[in-house]
Parts: sequence; structure tokens; C-alpha cells
Amino acid sequence: MIRFERVSKRYPGSVLALSDVNFHLATGEMAFLTGHSGAGKSTLLRLIGLLDRPTGGQVFLDGRNLARVSRRKLPVLRRKVGIIFQDHKLLSDKSVFDNVALPLIIAGVRYQEIQKRVSAALDQVDLLRKVRSMPLALSSGEQQRVGIARAIISKPPVLLADEPTGNLDPDLSADLMTLFCRLNELGTTVLIASHDIALIEQLGRRVLILEQGSIKSDA
Amino acid sequence: MVNIRRHQHRSKPTLLSRLSQGFRAWSRRHVYSFFSSLGTLVRSPLGTLMTVAVLGIALALPLGLWVGLNNIQQVNPATDSLSTISLFLTAGATQDEAEKVASEIQAWPQVESVISLSPADALTDFRENSGFAAAVDALTENPLPWVLEVQLLDTNEVNDDTGELLIRQQIEALLERLQAMPTIDLAQYDMKWLERLQALMGLGATIGRLLGALFGFAVIFVVGNTIRLDIQNRREEIEVMSLVGATEAFIRRPFLYTGFWYGLLGGIVAMSLVSISLLLINLPLQRLLLSYQSQFELLTPGFIGGLVVLAGGGLLGLLGAALAVRRHLQNLNPV
Repeated sequence: MIRFERVSKRYPGSVLALSDVNFHLATGEMAFLTGHSGAGKSTLLRLIGLLDRPTGGQVFLDGRNLARVSRRKLPVLRRKVGIIFQDHKLLSDKSVFDNVALPLIIAGVRYQEIQKRVSAALDQVDLLRKVRSMPLALSSGEQQRVGIARAIISKPPVLLADEPTGNLDPDLSADLMTLFCRLNELGTTVLIASHDIALIEQLGRRVLILEQGSIKSDA
Repeated sequence: MVNIRRHQHRSKPTLLSRLSQGFRAWSRRHVYSFFSSLGTLVRSPLGTLMTVAVLGIALALPLGLWVGLNNIQQVNPATDSLSTISLFLTAGATQDEAEKVASEIQAWPQVESVISLSPADALTDFRENSGFAAAVDALTENPLPWVLEVQLLDTNEVNDDTGELLIRQQIEALLERLQAMPTIDLAQYDMKWLERLQALMGLGATIGRLLGALFGFAVIFVVGNTIRLDIQNRREEIEVMSLVGATEAFIRRPFLYTGFWYGLLGGIVAMSLVSISLLLINLPLQRLLLSYQSQFELLTPGFIGGLVVLAGGGLLGLLGAALAVRRHLQNLNPV
């Protein structure tokens, strides 16, 4: 589903964020990406989510070489990847409902269908009662879950999460991981960047360890 | 992945059903953009009001000028006066002399008729219609000369573009000939002031077009700048929409709609301003014209004019928004 071949990424005017990264994540696989902050975790996720292009090497998503995707096709391909951002990236002037519904609105889904699916997605993250709230009225953890609901609402085949448990207490973190596992069981390919080592070890899944832009261990 | 496969297996959609599905999704997205753009305007009512007011005033100026010119054009001086030459005879001319001249001129081929107006008649007429009755009564003797109104033939062709030059030459020749006659003090042709008026109107129309173009640009720039600020204020939203897979067209569309609304509302304000101004002008104008014993119906922009202003405003707004969007949404895709 996701394949990196000799991928490197250099941001203008800075050091190499990724260098010679190779790995393959099969369809339906679930893996963790860990390493110190600044090791390149976010960069790697951004490359998969088509938010950035590599400066060297090739990234494949669902068999397609992302270097060959034209700008016009980019948005449609981006919809195949649900991304949960570290800073949530919610729209503060729109309600929880509107935030979660955004990917479906963009896809032009019927309003009745949107209502149904927003309810279902919010139910999965246990936030259905906050559907009419504004994001700023929610706690950081709740905002995070709104972001998760938005990422999973269009049922993307790939789900990326950047430090999804960063702001959550242990109980909620465990709940969240259970949710990711459940989505994975339904066939979603999941890649989670996290440095919550304890939680990762508990789950016993594949772990990619990044160090200074390279994969140091893959087990 | 399972989701997608399941979807593909469920049914093999025909081209037609896929097209109609695509169209429905497209129209739903449009409806969303439509309301989201209106929402933008409603959310900041004061800012919207000010922008719309500026646009309305900018559009009202050329519109007002245009309506004004139309109204002046409407005051077409009685067309028969176009082909009339007024002959003022010398002060001492008698009735006999006047009749002699009149019958002589009557025989000319270009002349249709000659009406003579005696000094006494003229004075009575002036006394009754001018409002200077007291002054006229104070006169010890009649200062007015005999006047002959010479009606020329071919009145219809006077306004004809191609024939105008020939007729003008004829009239010039006629005037010279009349002026040369000993009993005639002054041969006056009323075309002169009409020509001046028309030249003035032409000037006004040109200025109007110029102003129209200038203020049209003003509308484009005002809307463009407003949309630019709007884009800046919504960077975050644009980024997020782009992140979750919005196409550039989808992100652009609400801004284009907003520009259109600005222009349209500006057009409505312009129409209201001009209509209210006309209403305010109408009463004093009628009073003024009454003193000139003239009847006059003030022309308004009318339905078609209004439609043109609204559509024009909307289009200018759309254009301004398109320019801003082109300039400031260029690097929408982070990749």
C-alpha cells in the first residue's frame, strides 16, 4: 500500500530531514513510526499524505508513483489518505459537525448521508454529544478526537496519525489505540507516528524507528 | 482497502449513471459554495456593508451621469424649430414692407411657409407668457420689430446623418441671402445652439463612458482587494480544505461567489442611490420647469437599465474576485 524507495527529503535551507528511507507497508497492515522529535516522522507522514514531495527517491501509494501524479489529480488522491494532525487542524469558526463533515462536503455527498456518517464517526470517537459545539469550547483531547472523526469519515484506505495520543490521558490513549486497531481490522492500512513507547510495546505491532532521517530499525 | 473493493464489487456503474452521479455531486458542491459565500458576507455585516456602499457609490456615479444625459436628450427642442429661420426685420419696417418680404421669400423653392408676427402681437405674446407683464406695461413704445418665421421644406431630413451636410450648406446659403436683404436686420437659425447642445451632450457621453470605465476598474479593484483580505483571513481554512482533499476549483468557488455578491449588491445600492436621487430631484425640477411652462417626465434607469447595472456589477465583482483568486490562491497545493 505504501512503499518508499530510497526516499530523501531536504527542506530548503536546512539539513536533510529524510535520507535513503526504504520500507513497505502492505495493505491492511498497521505499524508505528517512532523516534526522537526531529527525526523525520512528520516529514515521512507528509510525504505519504501528498503534502510534500520527496527531493530524492520514490513514494508509492496504492501502486501509484506519487512523483507522477499531476497537481490536478492530487486532491482526489489525497482523499484516499486520512490524516490526523498533531495540531488537530480544525476550523475554529465552524462547528464540530461542519469540521467532521468537511471531507464529505468536498466529495459532494448528499446532506442526509453526511448527517448519518458524521453521527457514526463522532460516535466512534465518543463525541456525539458535542456535535453542535465549537472546537474552541472543547478540551485538547476532544479536539484531537474531532480530528480523528474527520480523518475516518470518508473511510480512507490509509490512515496516518501524527502523535495522536500526545494530548490524551492514558485511558483515552488506550481507547484510541483500540479504535485504530478496530479500523485496521476492517482493512484500513494504519501508520501512527508516536513516541509513547509503552503503548506501542503493549500492542506488539510493527515498529519503524527513525533516527536522524534514516530508518534505524524495522521490526 | 476493503471498503473500496466492496464498493467496486457491489455494482458495475454504467457511464450514464456515473455521469449523473458526478453531476449531482458537482451541483451539491456548488450549492455548498453558494451558501458558504453568503455566510461569509453575513458573518461580517459591517465590513460587507462598507464594501457594498463603496461599490454602490462607484457604480452610481456613471449610472447617474448616464441617466442625466438621457434626460437631457429627452428635452428635444420642438423639431419644427430645427427647420425654422427667424427673420428680424429692421426697426422701422412697416407692415407693407414686411408683407412684401414675406411673399418674396414664400416663392423660394426651399421654403414651405412664412408666418409673420407683428410687433404688437409679439408684445402681447411676450406680455402674457414671460411673466414680465409689469415691465411690458411700463414701456411707452413697442421696441419689438417685425418677425418672420420661415418654415423650411424637408424637415425630416434635417436630422439625417448623410443629408445633414448638404442641408446645412443650403441653409447657410439661404441665411446669407436673407441676411443680404435690406429690410432684414438679422436672420437667425436656431441650429447653432442645438449643435452646441449636441456637442455638449457628446462630450458628456464621452465623459460618462470614461467615468464608467474608470469606476468599473474601481469596482474590480475594490472587490479584488476585499477578496484578497478574505483569502488572507481564511488561510487556515484553505489549508485544511486542501489537506482533506479539496480541489482548487472547490476552494476557489466560494470566493468567486462572494465577489459576484459584492458586485450585485453594489449594483443594487447604485440603483437605489440613483432612484432616490431622481425622486429628490423630481419635485424641484418640476417646479422649475413649470415656470418655463414646460412639461417633462423625468426618465429613470428603467427595468433594462437596472438589469444591466445589476448584471454588470455582478460581472465586475466576479472579475475582481477571479483576479484576486488567481493571484493569491496560486500556491494552494502545498506540493
